[in-house]
Amino acid sequence: MTHRIVVDLANGTITQVEYTAEEQAAYDAAIAAQAQEAQQAEEPAVVETPAETPVEPTNEV
Amino acid sequence: MAVTLNASTTTGLVQSADTSGTVEIQSNGTTRLTVASGGVTTTGNTSIANLTATGTFGGGVITSGTAVASTSGTSIDFTSIPSWVKRITVMFDGVSTSGSSSILVQLGTSSGIESSGYISYSNQTGNSISSAGVTSTAGLIISLTNNANIIYGNMTITKLTGNQYTEGVNMGLNAGANFALQGGGSKTLGDVLDRIRITSGNGTDTFDAGSINILYEG
Repeated sequence: MTHRIVVDLANGTITQVEYTAEEQAAYDAAIAAQAQEAQQAEEPAVVETPAETPVEPTNEV
Repeated sequence: MAVTLNASTTTGLVQSADTSGTVEIQSNGTTRLTVASGGVTTTGNTSIANLTATGTFGGGVITSGTAVASTSGTSIDFTSIPSWVKRITVMFDGVSTSGSSSILVQLGTSSGIESSGYISYSNQTGNSISSAGVTSTAGLIISLTNNANIIYGNMTITKLTGNQYTEGVNMGLNAGANFALQGGGSKTLGDVLDRIRITSGNGTDTFDAGSINILYEG
């Protein structure tokens, strides 16, 4: 589980607070989104090339 | 006039009494502590091993929080900051995170951490390089550029007026090469400051080195 650390200045205690199920789900979703973003950034961009236009024959003399 | 309790070097305890409502504690005839209707005053040097302030506090005392290892977790919170605090120094000693996202310091109240409404800029300079800088409205930003960044130094957060705060940061940054890191910002809270959070800009990077503590003063 993911956690945060809390220092309470009133008594000097340091506590490791585990994420709630909701926080963990949001964290996992953010990680997945980042991974997907990174993957998209790595993929080569598809470059569309225009279809070649046939050149009409000319009657050159 | 006053009720006096004098620790005499010749006769021991010497007492006097009246109806003034004031008490003076004396050392060999010299008043060192006076308790009167208006409050308590001292003269000479005063040594206090541990002072806990409640209510309105005149300030002047710098209090250290508890240093914490920043080697795990997505954020580090310092809570129960007294309401009389006017300046907070956040100290970073060799702090690093797992990713390339910048570090954010967010302020909070009894309602929780506020994650919007900040004005904040930060950049890195050194080795003939000056970064364009980064900005954030989600927190007071410390510019990092990759997971090899290790920061050393302080961020100072000061109360301008009411619940309005300004911030400045000056640090050294090691990322293979060495850089200076600076920045500044401001934030107006909806209520009295009572906590701060140190986290990453993307909220998912985890701390993996160093230690963090704060000093606070009134």
